[in-house]
Amino acid sequence: MLAYLFKRLLLFVPTLLVASMLAFLLSRLAPGDSIVSYLKQDPLGTVSSPVELLNAEKEYLETATLLNLDKPAFYFSITSAAYPDTLNKIAIKTRRIMAERLLEQYGNWPAVEKYCWSIRETEATLLSLPDSLTLTATDFKIELRDLYIYHLDGNILSRINKMENILKQQPALFKFLSPDFFVLKNNYASLKSTATPYKLKIPSIRWHGSINQYHTWLTDFIKGDFGISIFRRRTATDIIAPALFWTVVLNFSAIFLAFAIAIPLGVWSAVKKGGRFDKTTSLALFMLYSLPIFWTGTMLLIFFTTNEYGMDFFKGAWLGNLSRDLSFFGKIKKIFPYLLLPIICLTYRSIAFIARQVRGGMTDVLNQEYIKTARAKGLPEFKVIWKHGFRNALFPIITMIANILPASIAGSITIELIYNLPGLGLTLLDSINEQDWPIVFAIMMLGAVLTIVGILLSDVLYALADPRIRFKK
Amino acid sequence: MQEPEKNRTIGNRKQSPRALLWQRLRRSRLAVWSLRILYGLIFLAVFGDFIANEKPLFCQLNGAVQFPVFHQIGIDIGLLDQTAKFMQTDWPNETYDAVIFPPIPYSSTTIDIPNKLKGPFSKQKIRSKRYRHWLGTDQLGRDLLAGLIAGARIAMLVGLIAMSIAVIIGILLGSLAGFYGDDQYQVSRAALCFNLLALFFGWFYAFKARSFAIAEAGRQGHLGIELLKSILLFTAIMAVANGLIYFVRRWPWLGKKVHLPLDLLIMRAIEVMNSIPALLLLLALVAILPQSSVFYVMVIIGLIRWPSIARFLRAELLRVRSLGYIEAGKALGFSDRHLLLQHALPNAITPVLITVAFGMASAVILESTLSFLGIGIGEDGITWGGLLSDARQNPSAWWLAIFPGGAIFVTVTIFNLIGEGLTEAMGGE
Repeated sequence: MLAYLFKRLLLFVPTLLVASMLAFLLSRLAPGDSIVSYLKQDPLGTVSSPVELLNAEKEYLETATLLNLDKPAFYFSITSAAYPDTLNKIAIKTRRIMAERLLEQYGNWPAVEKYCWSIRETEATLLSLPDSLTLTATDFKIELRDLYIYHLDGNILSRINKMENILKQQPALFKFLSPDFFVLKNNYASLKSTATPYKLKIPSIRWHGSINQYHTWLTDFIKGDFGISIFRRRTATDIIAPALFWTVVLNFSAIFLAFAIAIPLGVWSAVKKGGRFDKTTSLALFMLYSLPIFWTGTMLLIFFTTNEYGMDFFKGAWLGNLSRDLSFFGKIKKIFPYLLLPIICLTYRSIAFIARQVRGGMTDVLNQEYIKTARAKGLPEFKVIWKHGFRNALFPIITMIANILPASIAGSITIELIYNLPGLGLTLLDSINEQDWPIVFAIMMLGAVLTIVGILLSDVLYALADPRIRFKK
Repeated sequence: MQEPEKNRTIGNRKQSPRALLWQRLRRSRLAVWSLRILYGLIFLAVFGDFIANEKPLFCQLNGAVQFPVFHQIGIDIGLLDQTAKFMQTDWPNETYDAVIFPPIPYSSTTIDIPNKLKGPFSKQKIRSKRYRHWLGTDQLGRDLLAGLIAGARIAMLVGLIAMSIAVIIGILLGSLAGFYGDDQYQVSRAALCFNLLALFFGWFYAFKARSFAIAEAGRQGHLGIELLKSILLFTAIMAVANGLIYFVRRWPWLGKKVHLPLDLLIMRAIEVMNSIPALLLLLALVAILPQSSVFYVMVIIGLIRWPSIARFLRAELLRVRSLGYIEAGKALGFSDRHLLLQHALPNAITPVLITVAFGMASAVILESTLSFLGIGIGEDGITWGGLLSDARQNPSAWWLAIFPGGAIFVTVTIFNLIGEGLTEAMGGE
C-alpha cells in the first residue's frame, strides 16, 4: 500500500510542476507595474531634489527585492546575444521597457545603457537647479521626462531638438544644463551610429541557476509562504487563511450533505428502476443539474432574504465581521444562519451529479448474479441492497470525490460573490479587480493542489476498497 | 453500437450509421423537443436584428424609401459606408409617411428613459400597446426581451466558437494519442532532431527576433501583416528543415526510427489542464488580457475545454483499434494516415458528438458565469449573465432575475438533453 501511495505521489509531482510553471508564466504576463501598485504611488512622480531622486530609486530597488522581482525570471532564458544579464536590475518598469525596445532596435546594450544613464543624470542636474530657475526649466523637464518612455527615433529626436531650442533661448539654463544635455545628445547619436543589429539575430541561451524568480516563488510556496499582497501589503497567507476557513466550512458541509441525500436517492432509483419514482427523480435531477448555480443563488437571495415579496425567511448577504478571538465552533455558530442558502445552492447540483452516478453504479451491480443468489437464499431486501449491492457500487462514488472537490471550489466563487462571504472565491475576485496578482496566482495554485489532492485521495480510497489495484504490478 | 441493427435495411437501401443515429435520437421525445428549441434559439441568434430593433424594417421618410435594418447590417459587415445622415436619424421618433417596425421596436441598447426598471405587469409610459416592454426593462430603461434576443446570439456564438476550437484541438490530439498510442508512432532520428531544431529556430527568427516589429505593428494597429510575415517565415523554416531530412536520413544513425510516446505526452498535458479548475484558469486568463471582449472569452473557453474531447476520442479510438480491421488494413499495406483518416476516425467521431453537446452546455455556463461576475466582458455584447447580474442590484425587479436566468437554464438544459439523447441513441450509458 505504501509503495502504491508513493508511486501515485511521484506521478503527481511533474503535473504539479507544470501547473506551477503555467501559473507563474501567467503571473509574469499580468499587466500593470507591481512595484507601483505596492507603493500606491510612483515615488518618482514627486521628487524635487537629487537626494529625493536617489531615495526614490532606492525605494524601487528595495520593493523589487521584497517582491522578488529583481532576479531573472526562470532557470534559463533564451534571448538574442544583444541582451544583457542585467535587464531585470532596472526596477522601474516603464524604463525597463523603454531600454528593451531601444535594444531591440539597435542591439548595442552598452550604448543603450549609457543613453539611459545620461537621461537620468540630466534629470539629477535639473533637480539641483537653483530655485530661481526651476520655473523656467518646466518645459525642459516635460520634454526630458518624455524621453523615459519614447523609443522611436522620430519621437526622441523631436524631444531632443525641442530641448536644445529651449536651452538656446534661455542662456541661464544653458549654463547649468548644457554639459549634461550634450552628453545626452551625443550618447543618443552614438547609440545610433554604433548599432549592432546583427547581434539580435544570434540566439543565446543563458543559464541563471537557482537564483531566479520561479525557484524562489516555488520554494516559498512549498514552505507555505504564498508571497505578498501588493494591494493590501500583507502576506498572502494572512489573507488566504481566513478565507480558506469560509470556503472549507461552506464546501465541506455542502459535499457532506450532498452525499447524505444523494446516495439513498440514487440507490432507491436503481432499485425501483423504470418505475414512477425513478422516472420523476431522474428528470428532476437532470433539471437540477442544468440549473446554473448563480441563477438559483440570485433568485433565493432576492425572493427569500428581502421583504420585497413577503418571504423574508433567511438571513441575506453576510455583512459582519468575524472576530479572531472566537473559537472554531463559536465562529461556525455565528456564521451558520448566513450559510444556509449558500449551502443549498452548492448542494443541489452535487446531489444531481452524485445521485446519477450512484444510480448508474447500482443498476450495474443489481444485475449481477450474486444479487440474485443473495435474494434466492432469502436475505432481507435491505441487506441485499445495502450490504451486497451498495458496497460493490461504492467505486464510482469514490472516483467522484476527485471531481467534486474542484467543482465545488469553482462553484463557490459565484456563491461567495452573491452572498458576500469572504471566502477564497470572493478574495480571488477582489484580487483580480485590484490587480493583486500574487494572490490571484496563489489561489490558482491552491486550486490546483486541492484538485490533485482530491484525485490522490480518490486513488487511495479506491486502492483501499479494491485490493486488486493495490497489488497490481 | 450493436452490429445487427447497423445492417438493418429499409426497403432495399442500407441505412448509414448516421441516419440510424438520427432516427434513434428522434425516438426520444425530450431530445426532439430540445432540438426544436435549439432551432428556435439559432433562428433568434441569426435573425435577431429583424425581430428586435429600434430601426424600422421598411420606411418611407421624406419621400425616400429606406430599409434601415438592412442598411445597418450592410454597415456592420462593411458593405455600405456609414453616413452621418443615417447615424443622426432618430429612427424611433421620426414621423414617417409609411413604416413597418420589427415586432419588438427596441434594440438591446435602446434606452427608454421614462420606463426605467418597469416590470412586465406594471404601468408603462408608452405610446401604444405595440411599444410595451413585454418582459420589463432594466435600471437604464433597456428592453429586457430585446436584451434576451441579443444574448441568444452571444450564447450561440459561445457554443459555436468555443466548441469549434475545442473540437479541432481535441480531435487532433485525441486521435494522435488514441491511434498511435505509446509505441505506434515512429519517426526517424533525423526527422525528430530536425523538427525540434526547426521549431526552435523558427520560433526564434519568426517571433523572438521579430518581436519588436510585431509589437510595434500592434501598437500602430496593423498587426495582421507582420504576424502573417512571421507565420510565413516560421512555415518556411519548418519546410526547409523537413526538406533537408530527405537528404540526411540515408545516414544509418540518423535514419534509425525511434518511438515517440504520443499517448503519454498528450495524457500528461490533459492531466495538467485538468489539475487547474476550469473557472479559476479562465478567470486568471481573462483577467490578464489587455482588452476585454466576449470573443476572447469564447476563444479561451475553447482553449481550455479540449481535454474532455481528446480523452473521449482517445478512448473511442483505442476501442476501434482493437476491432481488428485496422490490423487488417495494416497488413494490406495501407499507410497510417490513410487508416486513421479513412477508417478509424469516421467510426470514432460520431460518439464525440456527445461530448460536444455536453461541452456546449458547459461553455454556455462558463461564459454566463463570467459575465455574471462581470470579468472580461467588454462593452461589445449584451449577455444573459450580465443581465442577470443586474438583478442583484435591484432585488425588487424579479423579472431581471427570472428571465435571463431562465434563458441560460433552458439553453443549458437542451444541450444536456441532446447529449443525453445522443448517448442513449448510441446505446451507451
